[in-house]
Amino acid sequence: MRALRERGLLIVSGCAIPLTLLLALEVAARSGAVNPIFLPPPSAILATFWSIVASGGFAAPLAQTVLFLFVGYGIGCATAIVLGILMGSSRPIFNLLEPLIELLRPLPKPALLPALILFLGLGARMEITIVALGCFFPVLINTLQGVRAVDPTMINTARTFGHGRVAIWRRILLPASAPYILAGMRISLGLGLILVVTAEMISGNGGLGDAILAAQRTFLVKESYAWLVVLALLGLALTWFFSMVERRLAFWSAPPVQ
Amino acid sequence: MTQLTADASARSVPRFRSYRLRDSRASGVALVLVLLGLWEASARLGIVQSSNWPPFSTVMTTLFASIADGELLPVVLSTLWRLARGYAIGCALGIGAGFLIGLYRPVRLALLPTIDLLRPIPIPAIIPPLIFLMGLGDTLRLFAIAFATFFPVALNTIAGVQAVEPVYHQVARTFGVPRAAALRRVVFPAALPFILAGLRTSLGIAFVVTVIAEMIVGQEGIGYYLITMEFAMRAAEMYGGIILVTCIAYLLNRGFLAWEARAIRWARLAETMQGDRA
Amino acid sequence: MSIATDARSAIAARAAVSGSRLTVDGIGKSFQGPGGSAVEAIGTVSLDVAPGEFLAIVGPSGCGKSTLLQVIAGLMLPSTGRVRLGERDVTGEPAHMVYLFQQYSKSLLPWMTVANNVMFAFRHRMKLSQAASLARCRDYLAMVGLADVAAHYPWQLSGGMQQRVAIARALAAEPQVLLMDEPFSSVDALTRLDLHSLILDLWTQKRFTAVLVTHDVDEAIFLADRVAVLTQRPATISEVIETRLPRPRHSIETRESPAFLALRHRLLDYLLTRGGGRSHARSA
Repeated sequence: MRALRERGLLIVSGCAIPLTLLLALEVAARSGAVNPIFLPPPSAILATFWSIVASGGFAAPLAQTVLFLFVGYGIGCATAIVLGILMGSSRPIFNLLEPLIELLRPLPKPALLPALILFLGLGARMEITIVALGCFFPVLINTLQGVRAVDPTMINTARTFGHGRVAIWRRILLPASAPYILAGMRISLGLGLILVVTAEMISGNGGLGDAILAAQRTFLVKESYAWLVVLALLGLALTWFFSMVERRLAFWSAPPVQ
Repeated sequence: MTQLTADASARSVPRFRSYRLRDSRASGVALVLVLLGLWEASARLGIVQSSNWPPFSTVMTTLFASIADGELLPVVLSTLWRLARGYAIGCALGIGAGFLIGLYRPVRLALLPTIDLLRPIPIPAIIPPLIFLMGLGDTLRLFAIAFATFFPVALNTIAGVQAVEPVYHQVARTFGVPRAAALRRVVFPAALPFILAGLRTSLGIAFVVTVIAEMIVGQEGIGYYLITMEFAMRAAEMYGGIILVTCIAYLLNRGFLAWEARAIRWARLAETMQGDRA
Repeated sequence: MSIATDARSAIAARAAVSGSRLTVDGIGKSFQGPGGSAVEAIGTVSLDVAPGEFLAIVGPSGCGKSTLLQVIAGLMLPSTGRVRLGERDVTGEPAHMVYLFQQYSKSLLPWMTVANNVMFAFRHRMKLSQAASLARCRDYLAMVGLADVAAHYPWQLSGGMQQRVAIARALAAEPQVLLMDEPFSSVDALTRLDLHSLILDLWTQKRFTAVLVTHDVDEAIFLADRVAVLTQRPATISEVIETRLPRPRHSIETRESPAFLALRHRLLDYLLTRGGGRSHARSA
């Protein structure tokens, strides 16, 4: 009851500030307090946004961005989880790979874009690679921590019951470190989106990032803002989708601090 | 990327245990050397024949030459100065908002949903529309850096302020410590481990965003330098730039960690000592 | 409320040998429960504590002892009734009362040295010079036998030493009333006996009014002039017993005296059969 009321209050009061802000922008643009050419009134942006949506013009860039993001994300996460569990459960593998990873981890991934463009061109391969690289490290580090945090008695219990290596992986290491892995994947998803948008902006080869920058370069002000709205909604949708998945997959772990 | 050293989640309790194992990493070092050797050999022996693939030694000598002749120094300084300003603005706003939101329920109700709404926006995307508003100057880049810095700092500060032991508040009250002094001498230090974790996370993010902003709308800075070298097909300079950027990111994180460890030495020691006794 | 005036009046009050009587007048406290219904923590409690008296409040765990003490301290407002110190109603934390917390490891601030922790107690109320503050801090640390650890951090000390620091800090604020919330419950048994003697010594020296909440019957009898027995939640006072044991009390002899043992028998009987000894009643 009380929690429900609190939630309702949060929604009402939470909407108040964005709505006030939008209203203020609307008034400012219409009254000429800010130049409406550079900051069009929200209603005009909304209309443009709607025309993009209604004409279906948003579909192709959105589909490309989401496709590249998910493929890169999938490759990055899968590799990282496998390597993370391997490194976490085997000392020699850890010792072999740890220095290389420590060396590459601080590398700001967008800085790799120019090099990747030289090698892989401006297309899908480059974009997927940069996303995969960016998503790889947070997931790897978290998987490693998760595996390390698994209580050895859990593994020993499984051994006593005669479970093999594969069963221990599947039934113990993976589920027990899942909350950590998922936390890493959450960070990676946001990072992946940033990287795919940056790559699209720099390569100019389709996608939402390209659309937004192209609109800016051709001075299509309203379109530029409308594309930003599309990207913001995509970000929100991904966040929402991920917390849903996380709740379903790691239901036994404590919810994150709020 | 430096923010990835943060724990499972940016909002989680900061940990102080080092994850590095100090036993034999000879095999790992050997692997790194072998890979560098392969790089060198593949370029020198023409296994990978491409003007995009200069040998490692050439990259390093080019890098040192560019540093020595003073070509890179202004580039790096310009990036760092931009980073410092944007980061400082973002941190100040983030800590301020974090305290207000963490301490006062009405502010929390009003602002937290807006923050949750804005946080998932991919930062590079805000740059193009804002070009109309702010032009191509530094204002835009500073805004983007501060925007990216703000969220982890604010969220960690909120978590830190709310995680302050209720007993600490009561201690301040029972000795009649005025509100302002209690904030400064009790709430702030108690929340400091969380705040610093947020500052460290966002330092990494801020650096990345600085580089991105320079790449997208740059006329100066290391991000712009990288893009220019790519266009000019000067591969050795470009790889040198990437190595330099990595070193800067590493040093920023290391430096922050060292400073953080000193600033909240009490938290780490208190944790281990109390742990020993329990 | 002016801090400086408060500090002066606090000092003046000390000089007059602590004059104010602590009156707890029909206090009740209820909380909003998880289902939205009110949960009554304290029924109706009235107490009258003379200046310089040592009162102990015992009760079964979870009966609302700490809540009662926090209401008395002004850290929490009562739902009904009022608390008075002398002529003044207690509606915030009053300058003349200090609360000694159960968890010393949490009540000492880990980012401050022992000295700064002690000075924290008075530097915001009494505007003293740095030298005077240090001298005062040194005095109080010496009083609890810890003059040499001023520069240490609390977490570098043992549990017993930490609670000594907490005691020194509480007394450094020169309270008329010291409210103690099970302050000895998380130290080992021998240290506890040691701290009992210490607190009695300090009480004799400084003559503050002491109110101790505890679930340890022996501790209550050994320290107090009167022992109030609380019932199960919602807490009400079922009995107030005067100990009438001679002072100074001695760690071993007092505890072995027939009068002590008789009191102990009587109190335990109350607690186990009437106060809330449901399990005992069932097994009987």
